[in-house]
Amino acid sequence: MPKTITEQNLHHLIDALLAEGVRVIGPKRADALTIYAPLANGEELDLDQLPRRSAKEAFFPPCETILSFEKRDGKITVSDPDLNRLPETVLIGVRPCDAVAPGILDAVFSWDYDDPFYLERRKRTTIIGIACTSADDACFCTAVGCSPDARKGSDLFLVPLQGGGFVVEAMDGKGSALKARYEALLATSGSAQPLPLAVPAVDSLDLEKIRTWLAGNFEHPLWQEIASRCAGCGACAFLCPACHCFDIVDEGGEAGGCRRKHWDACGFGKFTMHASAHNPRDVQPQRYRNRIMHKFKYYADKFNQTLCTGCGRCIRWCPVGIDIKAVLDEINKK
Amino acid sequence: MCIPDKNIYKPHLATIESIVDETPDVRTLRLVFQDEAVRENFAFRAGQFAEYSAFGSGESTFCIASAPTRGGYIECCFRAVGRVTEALRRLEVGETIGVRGPYGNSFPIEAFFGKNLVFVAGGIALPPLRTLIWQCLDWRDKFGDITIIYGARTESDLVYKHELAEWQQRSDVRLVRTVDPGGNGPEWDGQVGFVPTVLEQVAPSADNTIALVCGPPIMIKFTLPVLEKLGFTDNAIYTTLENRMKCGLGKCGRCNVGNVYVCKDGPVFTAAQVKAMPQEF
Repeated sequence: MPKTITEQNLHHLIDALLAEGVRVIGPKRADALTIYAPLANGEELDLDQLPRRSAKEAFFPPCETILSFEKRDGKITVSDPDLNRLPETVLIGVRPCDAVAPGILDAVFSWDYDDPFYLERRKRTTIIGIACTSADDACFCTAVGCSPDARKGSDLFLVPLQGGGFVVEAMDGKGSALKARYEALLATSGSAQPLPLAVPAVDSLDLEKIRTWLAGNFEHPLWQEIASRCAGCGACAFLCPACHCFDIVDEGGEAGGCRRKHWDACGFGKFTMHASAHNPRDVQPQRYRNRIMHKFKYYADKFNQTLCTGCGRCIRWCPVGIDIKAVLDEINKK
Repeated sequence: MCIPDKNIYKPHLATIESIVDETPDVRTLRLVFQDEAVRENFAFRAGQFAEYSAFGSGESTFCIASAPTRGGYIECCFRAVGRVTEALRRLEVGETIGVRGPYGNSFPIEAFFGKNLVFVAGGIALPPLRTLIWQCLDWRDKFGDITIIYGARTESDLVYKHELAEWQQRSDVRLVRTVDPGGNGPEWDGQVGFVPTVLEQVAPSADNTIALVCGPPIMIKFTLPVLEKLGFTDNAIYTTLENRMKCGLGKCGRCNVGNVYVCKDGPVFTAAQVKAMPQEF
């Protein structure tokens, strides 16, 4: 029989995890926003809205120290952050469009060279996904192969029930272990029906057709039409669950400091600028083209996956109203 | 317990053994790894690059400019144009810099055995070829004729002036130096003219010959048609792409030309491969 958990017991689960020293990250209210943040108690979990930023920062923080250095008596020593200090983490209340993304990013962060900062966090994190029951008109997960009840990426999956509570499904060993550990908080399923799933506005896209079109249309008036107005603010990349570009910069001075990875965005003008000031992606439409190409062609070519989960954040918060699903739809119709 | 061997972003430490100012703003650093095991085991192939850091300022990407056949040290060569390169330039002999690498692919030197080689370089793009030139000279009997055509805007902008003099002395190398019109002083004894024009005049035979071309985009653009006219096929022409990089490991997302990652799939490409890429470099 399927197992269920009441909302109250889900809060108790969070409290129990916290009591054991596990870091629990989930959607929580921060003034007017909902964001993924470490929860102080179960009551803070707020599943009403899709958080403003994606859950990727649980694995790939906006800013992260990758080494520190110190110069003493003319001698430089370099030390690593102690990755063993990374806490065991449960990421809870993650909608499918966010839950699927870390698995997509595993490919690039382990491509020939394993990025220990990303992969150690992956190892130490259990993802509790939740079926999505509310879409807005920016949502398009179903168009890019995800769906409101996609289990992919979740170790444990919650399905909200009418009248409250959730069905609890273990998707893999990590999820089963967690489920077994807190068996006492679960009940055997009653007669409650699942809440209706969200219905994203856009129909499925032919991603293979889009990839083929992109392969043949590096030069096309479309790029100019859709992206001349791009402000190059990078919001789309920073909000995206799957954008992974980063910068590496030193902070501090010659006497000592640290080297960090910072989120970066291919929409920024200096992203590709050479020392000579030559810039292979000189104007905004070329940068936007790279964004689309990277997500729907290059990443697909290399890793057989699409670097987009249809969460719609880049549409919702673009200051100039660029709509990636409209762009894809237009390509799909060509 | 730390897990330092897992940190792919952590550089080796190296000491600056010597400094050569190639031009007023181009400098060569000779670097010796501080860790004995790294010193003994660091191996690279001509064409590969590294990330060099001035701690406190950041990392810059340059090719490894010394030859794999010259052990015990590596060299990099850079123009001071930005925050990191200015900081690298402030470092003195005996000071420490960080080196991550070697990264990327390399010139398939084994495939060049028995062939004639024509090196065509412009300005500060000689270093990526110089590593290979010295390797070929160190293995001189494995190759046929070696021709080097090297140009810069002015006499002063020519890098590795001492080595140019050495190559000029050698009977087993044909060196043609050139400067752009107006870049020659009264003592200049080389050619005057742009690299593609001089290449056309020198007109090396394409028969059993590999061309290796490195230079600013404009030089490459005008050199490739000349090589084609001389009979070189696109698969017999090699070049390196020099895109901006940060990680050097295929992750940070900026060096791609289409779906080709210069840091992993390159930096060495044949002209055939370059022509198949979208025009985005």
